[in-house]
Amino acid sequence: VPSSQSPSIAGTALDPTSVRPSIADAEIVRVAPDELRDVLIRLRGEGCTMLLDVGAVDYLEREPRFDVVYHLLALPPVVATVAQVGMPRRVRVLAGVPGSEPRLPSVADLWPSADWAEREIFDLFGITFDGHPDLRRIQLPYDWQGHPLRKDYPLRGPAREATPRPAFALKSNVPAGTPPSGRVAAALQKQRELDEKRPT
Amino acid sequence: VKTPAAIPPPMGVDVVERIGNTMTLSLGPQHPSTHGVLQVVVEVSGETIERAEMEIGYLHTGIEKSAENLFWTQAQTVIERMDYLNPIGNALCYVLAAEQLLGVTERIPPRAQTIRVLMTELTRISSHCVWLGTHGIDLGAISAFWYIFDIRENVLDLVELAGGARMHPNYLRIGGVNGDIPAGYLAKLDELIEKFPQRMHEMRTLLQNNPIWRDRTIDVGIVSPEDAISWSLTGPALRASGIAYDVRKAFPYCGYETYDFDVPTRTEGDAYARFLVRLDEMDQAMRIIAQTRKRLETPGPIMVDDPKIAPPAKETIAISMEALIHHFKLVSEGFRVPPGDVYQAIESPRGELAYYLVSNGNNRPYRVRTRPPSMYNLQALKQMAIGNLIADVVVMIGSLDPVFGEVDR
Repeated sequence: VPSSQSPSIAGTALDPTSVRPSIADAEIVRVAPDELRDVLIRLRGEGCTMLLDVGAVDYLEREPRFDVVYHLLALPPVVATVAQVGMPRRVRVLAGVPGSEPRLPSVADLWPSADWAEREIFDLFGITFDGHPDLRRIQLPYDWQGHPLRKDYPLRGPAREATPRPAFALKSNVPAGTPPSGRVAAALQKQRELDEKRPT
Repeated sequence: VKTPAAIPPPMGVDVVERIGNTMTLSLGPQHPSTHGVLQVVVEVSGETIERAEMEIGYLHTGIEKSAENLFWTQAQTVIERMDYLNPIGNALCYVLAAEQLLGVTERIPPRAQTIRVLMTELTRISSHCVWLGTHGIDLGAISAFWYIFDIRENVLDLVELAGGARMHPNYLRIGGVNGDIPAGYLAKLDELIEKFPQRMHEMRTLLQNNPIWRDRTIDVGIVSPEDAISWSLTGPALRASGIAYDVRKAFPYCGYETYDFDVPTRTEGDAYARFLVRLDEMDQAMRIIAQTRKRLETPGPIMVDDPKIAPPAKETIAISMEALIHHFKLVSEGFRVPPGDVYQAIESPRGELAYYLVSNGNNRPYRVRTRPPSMYNLQALKQMAIGNLIADVVVMIGSLDPVFGEVDR
């Protein structure tokens, strides 16, 4: 039986996008940050009218450290039937962003839907979008420290680690040394009786 | 300690503010009609909205971060909790994306794909039932809620019968489904298929030609096709504006190209059109379910034939050393997924739900990026609300059907 695990996959890839298997999910375009807007404007002119999503990935040890990923879809901006829509063209634009002072030009003026997506990346990855009309945190509180989806941000979060447990969680309502009662006491008693019956 | 001035004040904290002839009001975040926790800050002149801005993030639970720290199979449990009205759809999208990376898409047994189609269409119906019920309550039509939740109970019973839980069954697996449908399942399904058209007819009688309903929804929150494209609307909201883009037709998965169904569209683009599109979608979903029911009569395998991904059958563990080792490895460290990235989309009840998965060759996903349809649909309210009355904000939110588990993740 052929297995997906043979030949065995060992180690971790530093840049998975460069070693991806041949999956026909979209056309892939990799751009530098300064040519991003030109490429997106050109693709929009070619009919990729919808900006489906903007996401980001933190590759931590790779240079450039971040990838900001734009997913485009070619839909007609007029009333269209299933046959007219057909199988629309999908394009994925990946822009590498350096880890020191990460910033990209905003596309919120080209697609209003980029507004929240860019705010989310700013919030969770700390990538600044130049020219965004209203760049604020969106998911997290305004006074949050750090950017949780970065790979060097711990899973439980520094705020949680640093916060001492509340006083009510530290004290028990049973004073220390109180003998067990109720079902616990009954179970212990039963165990003692069994132990006594057991031949040593 | 930060001084309060250093923190920018959130919009709409000052509930009432008067500038010239306009007034700024805050709706929510704890308003029952927002279907979760959404704050809408509107600037009104009289009763007409001149500007609307939304505050989201009240339900942010860091699901994407959690998923990156779980095994490939474990991550599915948190992913199902994003869009809590469509848990199986979320799981399906994630599972399909992971299978693309593993390169096993072609080897998934047809019966497993049929069960997946059946389950996603059942959850589509149950999700639309919640939307229809709550949308009705928002507009004062409470009876619809009770009738449609009867259907939802039947659907959830079927989900529970197959998956073991009503809401988050975690029934799908990378490589197939967790178990075959139990004996007597198809008879139960037949009951639903028989009962459903009558119930849908009742819903249409209650609401579709109801003069109050029509007054509240027709010409409210109109979206033109150009606006729908530029605001990235997908799903029923896009199809109500006339663009028949359905992922099941454009990029078929799970063998949707072999099913016979229509993509309901309208051209008005208002709240009533979105209502009609969703009602028609429920009928189409039941049409697909009836077709899966025929295919499920022939038995077959339900998991991919790959012991490194599929857990061994329980009875083989007692007699086969190899099966025992596979089981131990799968439970203790999961399986590894070849490095790469993939974008996989499905048609969720709310629109194009997609996962952009990145694997670096490890036994945990490196990045799980969701394309949340609710978030993009909801964002369009900023444009849609302008020029409408303040009472219609509730109608527009309801007609977009956002789920905040998915908006905030």
